[in-house]
Amino acid sequence: MIGVLGSNTVMGVYNAGQFGRFAWRSMAASARSIGMRETYPLIWTQMWIIGVRSVPVMLITGAFVGMTLAYGSYDQLAGMGLEEHLGVLINVSVVKELGPVLAAVMLAGRVGGALTAELGTMKVTEQIDAIESMGTDPVRYIVAPRLLACLLLTPALIVYADLLGIWGGWYMSVVELEINAGAYWSFSAFGIEMWDVVCGLIKGLFFAGAIAVISCYKGFHCREGAHGVGQACTEAFVASFISILMIDFALVVIFKAIYSTFWPVQSLLG
Amino acid sequence: MAERDEGKVADGVGKNEEPESRPERGAGVGGNNGLIVLKDVTKRFAEQVVLDGLSLAIEKGKTTVVIGPSGCGKTVLLKHMILLHRPNGGEIYFKGQRIDDVDDEALNKVRAHFGYLFQEGALFDSLSVAENVMFPVRQHCRITKWSEVEELVKQKLTMVGLNGFQDFYPANLSGGQRKRVALARAIAMGPEVILYDEPTTGLDPIRADIINELILKLEGELGVTSVAVTHDMKSAYKIADRIVMLHHGKIIADGDAEHIRNHPNTIVQQFIKGEVSKKDLEQLRSASAGNSVHHSSEG
Ligand SMILES: Nc1ncnc2c1ncn2[C@@H]1O[C@H](COP(=O)(O)OP(=O)(O)OP(=O)(O)O)[C@@H](O)[C@H]1O
Ligand SMILES: [Mg+2]
Repeated sequence: MIGVLGSNTVMGVYNAGQFGRFAWRSMAASARSIGMRETYPLIWTQMWIIGVRSVPVMLITGAFVGMTLAYGSYDQLAGMGLEEHLGVLINVSVVKELGPVLAAVMLAGRVGGALTAELGTMKVTEQIDAIESMGTDPVRYIVAPRLLACLLLTPALIVYADLLGIWGGWYMSVVELEINAGAYWSFSAFGIEMWDVVCGLIKGLFFAGAIAVISCYKGFHCREGAHGVGQACTEAFVASFISILMIDFALVVIFKAIYSTFWPVQSLLG
Repeated sequence: MAERDEGKVADGVGKNEEPESRPERGAGVGGNNGLIVLKDVTKRFAEQVVLDGLSLAIEKGKTTVVIGPSGCGKTVLLKHMILLHRPNGGEIYFKGQRIDDVDDEALNKVRAHFGYLFQEGALFDSLSVAENVMFPVRQHCRITKWSEVEELVKQKLTMVGLNGFQDFYPANLSGGQRKRVALARAIAMGPEVILYDEPTTGLDPIRADIINELILKLEGELGVTSVAVTHDMKSAYKIADRIVMLHHGKIIADGDAEHIRNHPNTIVQQFIKGEVSKKDLEQLRSASAGNSVHHSSEG
């Protein structure tokens, strides 16, 4: 019993160390390959796969989040006669929290899964060994372009999710629930600052890094066979999901400390 | 195409030692000046010992063939020569320089001298045949003229009888064709050392013989050092300057084809003649009998 616990702890620490090393190597390789022309086509291909094909998913997610928020919060605010403040609530939530987090979760599922499966298959069919055997660093060749593509694209995808979220909120509030459009926008403009948008985008960078590194790591260390690849994908998604939420929490605390701004939602509701 | 990136490997330091405890030494294969030297290499996977204090020196410009039963660790041995597996104990040298404890960058320079043919090919399935073959060239050379690279790809594919398949993807090739593309990729850079993991397995007899000729040609014309793992004794006799047999993680026979043919050890004799031992045969028969009893009692 104690033996099992002990060996699990040792394995846990060992794995954490291995992951840390991998993450460090990936970031170092990415930083180096920014300066290398020959990696640009690789990054470009990955951007196409990761970014362009994720846009529709992002748009749909954003729009529904906006609409749901508007519809769900209307009654509560209307009960207090504050329905014209709906815009602040929706837009701040979307831009600061839900846009980045949901976009990241979607990416973890869509892109992270694909990355892990692809790299896992490469590992199982010895393609990663083959890259190494030819004197090329697989982290530089495989991980760096994917990490860079994720970092470059996630903020852009978050902007899409934000825009559609705002659109969804507006559509529900102004068109369906018939709130005065002028009041809706003026309260929104009052509640949202550039800072909120920047916070959302910075979060996006962290999420993207976490998703890419975790997914690639799981793919690199995947066990043999189709079962191994499937398991690696599941583990990668769960790990990405949890780290998104944890990073989100950490960043909220940090941002708040950096810029101790009032929390419009709290002041409205409380 | 520019010059290949030269590794900083000092030549001929002659640091390798001939292990005293080697009982086997075939006639006609002399010299202790190994290009690749494995010294007391041990490799374990969990509890399983695959290589058990194995020592082997590969001579420059010669073809060494490694034979042995399936699962005895031939692939594992070959992968140690370019450090795709790290030994649990022992030392590995290339050109007199120790390579099992150097950092990745130095190792990559060493690896650029090697070509490695994987047992299952290990082609990049997202790249076309031509891109696969030019992969090492693109990694190590600054390409100035694409036409030269295309010419090189064509030349290497012709060598393995696959010119015209440039735009195919690995998924659309047969197993034997994939293996040959992988061979073309392994020789694309004109490496000094080529490690072949079962180069002729899965090929028809004629194609297999062409590959044998290709290996001989690379050795004869370019002075390539080769290490080939194989089950195919016909191929082994044809290409080998020296044959070593691996058994239970150790080398039990080492010498030229003649030496191996006349080897006194029964395990070696059974292997090269492809005969199953009496003991194994009995085991097999009793096992199948046991199965049928089991089956009938269930049904
Ligand atoms: N990555 C690995 N993890 C765990 N065990 C391994 C690994 N690679 C090889 N082995 C074990 O090492 C032993 C030798 O494997 P190896 O692939 O070298 O055999 P081989 O001699 O090449 O056989 P074959 O002729 O069938 O290719 C096998 O018993 C295998 O179970
Ligand atoms: Mg093998």
